[in-house]
Amino acid sequence: MPTDEAFAVEVDGVVKRFGRQVALDGVDLRVRRGEVYGLLGPNGAGKTTLIRCLVGLVRPDAGTVTVLGRRLPDLGVLSRVGYMTQAAALYPDLSVAENLRFFAAISGAPGHLDEVLRLVDLEERRGSIVSTLSGGMRTRVSLACALVHRPELLLLDEPTVGVDPQLRAQLWDGFRAMTADGTSIVVSSHVMDEAERCDRLGLIRFGRLLAEGTADELRRRAGSDRLEDAFLRLSGAEVPA
Amino acid sequence: MSGRRVLAITRRLLDQFRHDRRTLALLFVAPLLILTLFYFLLRGGGGRPAMGVVNEDQGPLGAAVTQQLLASGSVHATEMDASTAAARLRDGGLAGYVVLPAAFSASATQGAIRPEIHVEGTQPDQSGAVVQATGLAVSAAAGSLAAAAGVRAPTFSPGVTYLYGGPSLDTLDYFGGAFVGLVVFFLVFVVTCVSFLRERSQGTLERLMASPLRRSEIVVGYMLAFTILALLQGLEVLVFSLGVLRVHNAGNVLLIFGIVTLLALAAVNLGILLSTFARTEFQAVQFIPIVIVPQVLLGGVILPVSSEPGWLQAISNVLPLTYAVDGLRDVMLKGADLGWASVRLDAAVVAAFCVVALAGATATLRRQVA
Repeated sequence: MPTDEAFAVEVDGVVKRFGRQVALDGVDLRVRRGEVYGLLGPNGAGKTTLIRCLVGLVRPDAGTVTVLGRRLPDLGVLSRVGYMTQAAALYPDLSVAENLRFFAAISGAPGHLDEVLRLVDLEERRGSIVSTLSGGMRTRVSLACALVHRPELLLLDEPTVGVDPQLRAQLWDGFRAMTADGTSIVVSSHVMDEAERCDRLGLIRFGRLLAEGTADELRRRAGSDRLEDAFLRLSGAEVPA
Repeated sequence: MSGRRVLAITRRLLDQFRHDRRTLALLFVAPLLILTLFYFLLRGGGGRPAMGVVNEDQGPLGAAVTQQLLASGSVHATEMDASTAAARLRDGGLAGYVVLPAAFSASATQGAIRPEIHVEGTQPDQSGAVVQATGLAVSAAAGSLAAAAGVRAPTFSPGVTYLYGGPSLDTLDYFGGAFVGLVVFFLVFVVTCVSFLRERSQGTLERLMASPLRRSEIVVGYMLAFTILALLQGLEVLVFSLGVLRVHNAGNVLLIFGIVTLLALAAVNLGILLSTFARTEFQAVQFIPIVIVPQVLLGGVILPVSSEPGWLQAISNVLPLTYAVDGLRDVMLKGADLGWASVRLDAAVVAAFCVVALAGATATLRRQVA
């Protein structure tokens, strides 16, 4: 699976406007192979737009996006990318296994159903119809669908919303195991506990990448003990004393 | 029961309609559109069936009957010769014609007359109108001639020959073919449109767009699935109409099935294409009064396209249902086969519509959601 490109994601000078509103304002970003890169930022900062740029759902007005060595737009490279949307995008009238098989098939890869079901702890519910599952379970099925074709790059848009802390820890163990195999992960979040687990973090605000580095580096740069304060300070907000 | 709480519900619903301009427009525009179509269909066009009068009689009775028919308010009669009449009956220009034979006046004096009525036969009410108008004209003309001559009016027994079908053909036989097509078209359209819309609203379309799937692969995949369903449905509808309801069929069942399949394909592609223009299932259902009902009215399902005013016929002539209905009727009532140019044209137009809608559906499916 590993190839010789050093970067899983290369974003250069990407600008995206929706009407008069600027969603991305000149973003440069590198995600290394086998790295977990966390995108942090408040709601409406441009996290989702940036992730959607990486799967070709948003075409930048300026700048270039290169994913796994392929300059977008490139349909073929999408079979090596897994994308989990913010809201669980599933077929509610199909079973868990049927959803998984479908998403594996459209990626043109064999589905690793047992493996991903174990990861999201839904082995017992493989035959359940999705509409009968709880919100948290649906989130996990949605994640499983993004993983089922063993992507080399995994894009997760706030993946653990509605997932309890115990399962969240379990999922992150799974992510770690995947990066050990060379998978790269880009994850957007505003959960600080999750940010701590990323190899590197990028702070996004007003469509700009304001700061980048490991959690420790960001804390040091902001002169703050807590990542949350560092995040607020570096993004230019007032930090309560 | 609290008036305030009830009013809160009412108020909220009215507010929702205020925000949904399209539903509001539909609520007030669609009835006018549909009623206007009815107006032009029933009052605007030449609603009277066209008939020919072939007067080969040299005597006074032939001329008198001809005069009566030309003045008739229930048919639109024109005088012509026998070969023209036969040709126009065959090409659908006439609902029927009457031949007043050479010895018509002479036989009247002998007490019995027998005009020959030829009807097209596929439309029972039109055939009936021709026979009835002829009967009225003959009895009026013969009666007044006999009264003037002071003799008894001759007995009158017309011979009616049917180009297609026969006297046993009823209204269901006439509508059967059209309804088979309509039922399949309508249901397939609605089901496709709503399920494609669901793909959008539940967010899975975005997921598909972030996969290596091509847009054309999505559209063709949908098409195949709904075509399989439509084939089964078409099969059931045909077996039921022909086997249980005993709708008249003079043609090849496979050819009927073929036309129904083409129409179903057209409905699938139209459904996908139009789902782009709806945001909710509610809005998709609204396509029924603006897409389906006008096709039913203008497609010749209820009233023949030829009875519409010219400008409405122009609209009818671009609707796929018009051609499918025409093809189905030709096959089932007239026993038409692929040797008929009209059947080939009908099939070709429906097929062409499928291709256009398929291309349109693929084009409107944007990869970039933003």
